[in-house]
Amino acid sequence: MSNIIEINNLSFSYEEGSKTLDGVSFVVEEGSYVTLIGHNGSGKSTLAKVISGLVDDFTGEVKVFGLDVDRKNIKEIRAKLGLVFQNPDNQFVGSTVRDDMAFGLENRCIPTEEMNPIIEKFAAEAGMSEFLDTAPENLSGGQKQRVAIAGILSMSPDLIIYDEATSMLDPVGKKDILRLTLKLKEENPKLTVFSITHDVEEAWHADKVLVLNKGHLVLEGTPKEVFSHSDELEKIHLEAPFIVSLIKALRNNGINVPDNISSEEELEDYLCR
Amino acid sequence: MASFSLGKYVPFKTPIHKMDPRVKVAALIFLMVAVFLSYGSYTMTFTVMGALALLILILMLVSKTSILKFLKSLKSLWFMIIFLLIIYIVMPRTTGSLTPAFQIKGYQFYWESFLDAGRILLRLVMMIALSMILTSTTAPLDLTFALEWYMTPFKLIGFPAHIIAMTISLALRFIPTILEDVDRIMKAQTSRGVDFEHGGFFKKIKAIISMIIPLFVSAFVRSDELANAMECRGYDPNGKRTRYKKLSFRVGDFFALLFVACVLAGSIYITASGFDLYALLGVSVL
Repeated sequence: MSNIIEINNLSFSYEEGSKTLDGVSFVVEEGSYVTLIGHNGSGKSTLAKVISGLVDDFTGEVKVFGLDVDRKNIKEIRAKLGLVFQNPDNQFVGSTVRDDMAFGLENRCIPTEEMNPIIEKFAAEAGMSEFLDTAPENLSGGQKQRVAIAGILSMSPDLIIYDEATSMLDPVGKKDILRLTLKLKEENPKLTVFSITHDVEEAWHADKVLVLNKGHLVLEGTPKEVFSHSDELEKIHLEAPFIVSLIKALRNNGINVPDNISSEEELEDYLCR
Repeated sequence: MASFSLGKYVPFKTPIHKMDPRVKVAALIFLMVAVFLSYGSYTMTFTVMGALALLILILMLVSKTSILKFLKSLKSLWFMIIFLLIIYIVMPRTTGSLTPAFQIKGYQFYWESFLDAGRILLRLVMMIALSMILTSTTAPLDLTFALEWYMTPFKLIGFPAHIIAMTISLALRFIPTILEDVDRIMKAQTSRGVDFEHGGFFKKIKAIISMIIPLFVSAFVRSDELANAMECRGYDPNGKRTRYKKLSFRVGDFFALLFVACVLAGSIYITASGFDLYALLGVSVL
């Protein structure tokens, strides 16, 4: 498998003296679902900006699709990359869902006649078919994020980056977007998702978790590995997912839960048996 | 916030809604010119303007423009009415004859003052009605497209019509969002003790500043993020783009344009030739 994102010794600072990112290195493999978690001010959003070419003058090596992120390559990289931002309102360009989805297609110079079938197909994929002519002010935050995802899908990207895409949503919206992401991953195994988040529940469903603190990468591994370091995570103000805390509490109380349990349903089955 | 809905687009499916927005913009300009022409004697003027008002009323009914909303929007005109009356009473017309109406405390009032004020007022009312028909039957985005189309010739001299059109449509898109911000900031500031409703002029100004500053900050943050999002979705202001919505000029649009052009031509003829129906019929006029 090839590496979609390759970051080597990346450092970045907004102002002299304080480094927002300090010697960060990691890779994201094709077809994987990787989450990067960290507390506020850990540098996660800056990392998203670096990868999508919204800031330059960083030091180190940043490669996306094997191309260096710089002014020369950025157009080619962006053609295959979709970003979902934090604020659902500030990325909604059109005056209806349909117009918003068309915006990306217009930029790609897709002929007008081909737009409607594409819009309808991907709106259905993101579950927004019935809202095609709805104005953004009549949509919930979660629905707006679905539209953003639909707009990105319509450009058939190889990589989707979530820059705290669910942090402004209510728990229902969060779950909704997670379910959609997992569904998309299932349908298209080649799709790579890189999600920057502070939602540990989302991170629990990823293939790989990276933990960033004060510009340093402190932990890296599968969710199970990372969240087994619950003491270290607590030190940087990150809680373990509910299921991990629950299993830990059960074990402390003498109930021996086997290691292969990873969801609330499985735990319920085990306990009721 | 209620006043904002006055000129808002209402998505019906009337013939006027379906018209090409370019034709609607042209028709608006033609009819406005007709409304503002002068038609000689008062009787002739009010006859022609009455005919135009009837046409506008028919247009409002056909386009299902809410007459109630229209009347509500006229409520804010009362200041204008008083202002116009005062102007015309203090300074009656200097050309032509003046017919004395009545005297109050030795001050002479003239009929012409009231007729002139009434004429201007009628023009304003018709202008508001026409603009309201346009905005309530045309989606803001279509209106932007129409304006862009009219600005296209200026592209030759380097005028960025497409960028301006995009800017306008983004501004329109963000009006509800910014209004939400206003609401939220006002609530937040009220909970911190700012009083928006009571107090004198300076106190109110101070209260409003406490809303304006956060509003500006939030608007700048929004525009920054929007610019990032647009860039990431491949928007290049000077690059080539295709169009999702295309404007189409249909047969009906042609006839509508022809009709409005005839109305304008007729009114220009009346103005230019000094045609007076009542003089022709031998009826004595004002």
